[in-house]
Amino acid sequence: MNGRRFTTALTVIFAALWLAPLFFSILMSFRPEAEPISIGNIFFGSQITLENYQTVLTIAPWGLHYLNSVIFVVGVLIVQLFTVTLAGYAFARMQFPGRDFLLLIVLLQIMIPAAVLLVPNFATIRDLDLFNTHWALMLPYWGSAFGVLLIRQTFRGIPYELEEAARIDGATLFQVLRHVYIPLSIPAYLSFALVSISSHWNEFLWPFIITRSDEVRPLTVALNQLYQTSETGAQYSQLMAGTILVIAPLVVLFALFQRRFIESFASSGLK
Amino acid sequence: MLSHRLWTRLTPYLLIAPTLLLVLVFTLLPATRTLYDSLYQPARRAIEPSVFIGLQNYADLFDLTHYLGGRFLPILQNTVIFVFVSLVVAVPLALGFALLLNRQIRALGFWRFSLIYPMLLPLIGAASIWAFLYSDSIGLINTVIRSLGGQGQNWLGNPNLVLGSVIVVNIWKQAGYYSLFYLAGLQNISRDIYEAADLDGANAGQKLLWITVPLLRRTTLFIVVIAITFGFQTVEQLAALGLGNPADRSNLLLWFIFQNISERRNWGYVNAMTVILVSILLLFTVANFLIFERRGVEDERA
Repeated sequence: MNGRRFTTALTVIFAALWLAPLFFSILMSFRPEAEPISIGNIFFGSQITLENYQTVLTIAPWGLHYLNSVIFVVGVLIVQLFTVTLAGYAFARMQFPGRDFLLLIVLLQIMIPAAVLLVPNFATIRDLDLFNTHWALMLPYWGSAFGVLLIRQTFRGIPYELEEAARIDGATLFQVLRHVYIPLSIPAYLSFALVSISSHWNEFLWPFIITRSDEVRPLTVALNQLYQTSETGAQYSQLMAGTILVIAPLVVLFALFQRRFIESFASSGLK
Repeated sequence: MLSHRLWTRLTPYLLIAPTLLLVLVFTLLPATRTLYDSLYQPARRAIEPSVFIGLQNYADLFDLTHYLGGRFLPILQNTVIFVFVSLVVAVPLALGFALLLNRQIRALGFWRFSLIYPMLLPLIGAASIWAFLYSDSIGLINTVIRSLGGQGQNWLGNPNLVLGSVIVVNIWKQAGYYSLFYLAGLQNISRDIYEAADLDGANAGQKLLWITVPLLRRTTLFIVVIAITFGFQTVEQLAALGLGNPADRSNLLLWFIFQNISERRNWGYVNAMTVILVSILLLFTVANFLIFERRGVEDERA
């Protein structure tokens, strides 16, 4: 069938075009530094080498930057899980004066991302004496309007009778959350966690302006530093090695858990 | 001790307090302060009072003869071009990707990975990959062009090409992300409609044009709005793709704001530009929210 062949050809062409940047940056990272790509020789150099990775690992304390990224991402997620659960429950199941107005205020956060308000937020962090600390990185992300919306919607779908039954047995609010709502909302929490982790792992502008030393800087900022110092261009093989180090975790996770990622991100339009 | 009733009444407020406090401190108050400060001329030194000047900061920004205004308007224009060209190319491409991936094909996982993975790269990582591809002397693109007998280009150094080069990176990164929404939308179109069209003898092109595209209209609208709001906030790639150079030709609004925050005399303009950026974002996100809520209402009815 002609139509089928046509669409298959299109798939192959676009997949090749889209994959090429990743493919060639991986190749480049394993090429000897002294052998830049040239006409007739764009794939491999004379040998496959790890020297670029070795060099890059000595240029910057990547272990430390990895740790900083993990602290940032995990520190944000853990606090978010608490804040979005509590607020999500209140907005889903409780009646109180001013509820809709307060929800609207929370939604403002989706409309105006903290990183856009660079100047005043920078000033706030300085006033709190937190400049160049892990706290400064995490603090603006601890509340998540996207998370509140997602959890509110999920909790609303859980039959109220389950809560009532638990209440009759004398369960407190926190017991109801722990034994009724949270166990029934695991997929929603997983989606939220994936989106939260990916977006903070990749965050750049805020960490860039709020950190100054290697002790705090996450991977993205370290990669930028590597880029700025290798601008002469001769060290693209090292730059690619550094880039691969930074992007590898998420790309590998995505390759392994495609479906989960796709479903999670499809619900993230209001991040 | 608080009475039990008062405690019950306070509970919802206590539950939302952490979220609300964070939104107040990092969104609402700073936004208000920015709006307020945008009406003042910053003092030369911290101890002096700043002077109320009304809308003068805004007037200066829109004055081409002003030292910052002369840069602001072209940069605003770049930003609008960046957002809309990305959109016009990436959204149809996303629909195409979704259609390609929505078939029964062998090795689906591989094709899906290939088209979608760029969305998971940090922009700064994506940009450094492309900086290598674009490199004039040893970049992959020029090497390929030259081996085919063509003329290599200075993709990031030529003022007429640089914005296009930055847009290509954005399209490459975002198309797969947008296709996720189309993939979800395609699941909701009933097979019966296509079968009915088959009976009427419709070909593939007609089915795409008269069934798929109209039924995905709402998804398209939704994607367009998020593409616009994301577009106006996307600046990280500039850190690796020439810092807005040459001659501001690839500079974008948020990056320009960032470039000016270190100079006190420009703070009034920084605030005014932030207000302009936030207004644009608000406009489109309110639109997004209205579409989203309306879709929610229809889902409930269905």
